[in-house]
Amino acid sequence: MRLLLTVNGAAWEGDVEPRLTLADLLRERLRLTGTHLGCEHGVCGACTVLLDGEAARSCLTLAVQAEGAAVTTVEGLGGPDGGLSDLQRAFLAAGALQCGFCTSGFLVSAEALLRDGRRRTREELRELLSGNLCRCTGYEPIVEAVLRCQR
Amino acid sequence: MKPPAFAYRRPESLAEALDLLAGEGGEARALAGGQSLIPLLAMRLARPALLVDLQRLPELRGIEASPGLLRVGAMTRETELERTAGLPGVVAAALPHIGHFQIRSRGTVGGSLAHMDPAAEWPALALLLDAELEAASARGRRTIRAGDFAIGPLTTALEPDELLLSLTVRGADGPFGFLEVERRPGDFALVGAGCHRGRVVVFATGGRPQRLPGCEAHLRQGGGPGAELRALAEAEIDATGDVHVSAAYRRRVGARLVDRVAAAAA
Repeated sequence: MRLLLTVNGAAWEGDVEPRLTLADLLRERLRLTGTHLGCEHGVCGACTVLLDGEAARSCLTLAVQAEGAAVTTVEGLGGPDGGLSDLQRAFLAAGALQCGFCTSGFLVSAEALLRDGRRRTREELRELLSGNLCRCTGYEPIVEAVLRCQR
Repeated sequence: MKPPAFAYRRPESLAEALDLLAGEGGEARALAGGQSLIPLLAMRLARPALLVDLQRLPELRGIEASPGLLRVGAMTRETELERTAGLPGVVAAALPHIGHFQIRSRGTVGGSLAHMDPAAEWPALALLLDAELEAASARGRRTIRAGDFAIGPLTTALEPDELLLSLTVRGADGPFGFLEVERRPGDFALVGAGCHRGRVVVFATGGRPQRLPGCEAHLRQGGGPGAELRALAEAEIDATGDVHVSAAYRRRVGARLVDRVAAAAA
């Protein structure tokens, strides 16, 4: 099936099988392997991307459902020169990553939260970020990094 | 964890969608937000021949929230509702319990109702608020009362060729109680309960949301929260156990929640 969408600001067009998930399209066809696949059924959050500006699970979205949509992956969060975003720098400064597997999902989820401009408490952020799992259990510095970005 | 092969269509009109659903000998499935259906496909628990994507159907969109009335198109995303002012309090209170925000951005009201997970919030809210569910097929339209809609896990009164169009609730404002016990915020409830205008509903306890007529009679006769209500609820809740918690846990914790939601709604 013919598919046309925008990924990190660039148009992409190609033929895909209807059963291809958006996650597999990004990773295997576009080679954007920053989007990680953990559970592949919507529990772990590692595959989170922005779909028309809203955080969404790319493993729970068929590529064909994203026809005409604008997708932003972790590769699209930084500046056009490849520089890190404020959020990415805050993750580095707070030590908000260990093995790094969950990091792209957390970054994209946190980016979606920061974009609406609302200032959230530590408790609110903990609850909102509960849809992303970190198996190194480094939740404290992750929440800290997002809090610092709100300031 | 990859879905099996299926055909896919994205109709532009309701009539076209209904024809597609009627045409595959019962093997077509409607695709709303996909947040429940795609995991079923990935685990190969569902193998539809055809998925009919509903995202381009304007008839299934739209929110009408006015005092005393809430009408929600079936393809309304939960995130859209969260951003809507003037929702009845009980609906606004239930929304944050529906998955995580990354799920609510894609998940739809109609998709959740039609999927009918016994632990999901929408079937419970529909029963609690005595919702009217409008359905259509190529054969015509009908309205299903929430009490007749949920039949069991993943089973509703919808025929294979029928599509849910909207949910309508009337008089849903006013005091309420709505509580869940869940492992992480956003996880499926282990036990949930709601109380509104004398109705008492528990969910995530058995195969479908359950009204508790004995508890409702107790409240109607002026009995308040307390030991008597808890005992009535514990006897009345039809619970099953699973890998997470036992049936006895669901009855006991469910009874506690009934007590608390009744107190909140008083």
